[in-house]
Amino acid sequence: MDFKELDPILHSQLRLAVVSLLISVREAEFTFLKEKTNSTAGNLSVQINKLKDAGYIEVTKQFSKNYPQTICKITKKGIESFEDYVKALQSYMNPGGN
Amino acid sequence: MQPVYCFINRLFKPKFQSMQSENFSPKDSLLLIDSMINQAKNRFTENGFLYLLWGWLIFISAVSHFILLKTRLLKHPEMIWMSCWVAIIFQIIYLVRKNKKEKVKTYSDGIIDNIWMCFGICMMVLIIIVSRNNLWIYMYPFTLMIYGIPTFLSGVTMQFTPLKIGGISCWALAILSTITLPIYYLLLLAAAVLIAWIIPGYLLRKKFKNQH
Repeated sequence: MDFKELDPILHSQLRLAVVSLLISVREAEFTFLKEKTNSTAGNLSVQINKLKDAGYIEVTKQFSKNYPQTICKITKKGIESFEDYVKALQSYMNPGGN
Repeated sequence: MQPVYCFINRLFKPKFQSMQSENFSPKDSLLLIDSMINQAKNRFTENGFLYLLWGWLIFISAVSHFILLKTRLLKHPEMIWMSCWVAIIFQIIYLVRKNKKEKVKTYSDGIIDNIWMCFGICMMVLIIIVSRNNLWIYMYPFTLMIYGIPTFLSGVTMQFTPLKIGGISCWALAILSTITLPIYYLLLLAAAVLIAWIIPGYLLRKKFKNQH
């Protein structure tokens, strides 16, 4: 059986949830990701930084009405890695390639 | 399938010991991806405000223009359309504020914004052509035709049938204008914005409120 290696950056529930959300939208604010993933701000922040360090997402910090705003956007590398991850998952789900 | 899960767990356990959430199966991964994509995809960001603003403004202006033409109360009844400039400024301020508040920007939002920007440019070009060639009589039929394009395309992008019907109605009214006296073009315009913007605007608002 030929199993493709699963990307360790994406093979984490929270990071995968963030990337799955970002792949569906143009960009999203931190609070949107927090609300949809049901995670704590601290944990989400750590995972976002890991995705950013891997080059999978772009993070922009700005101010809106004196409040800090964190905007996240998936990168080309992030999209490619996500697609590879899904292909790898499929190889586990259909080991015979059917 | 069990040996496959064991294989994955064995593969990643050393790295992910500190975080339980990494011990999940490929099936769980696919379910999570599907759930997140659906959550983002089903998000409805259009609250119908601009459809209602422009719908009511054009409706009131067109009907007022028609009444003023019929009653001859004003020498230049067309001046009523100057209110559109106030609405344009208001719209710019509204959109800047809305963009800052928005927690998420979808791809369809971007497409719809560009469709309406093209509509705005087409309207400007139409005004220039019509005014330079003194073809004001064709202004309203062409406006009806152009109204149909962004309305229909927004309906297709949002998968919102009332807007698609609105767009088609604009084109039907543009054809109807060929057998109508020019003074009634204003009433056709009022009918168009009622069907294409005001009614869908209220339905969009209702849908938005239900979702948020």
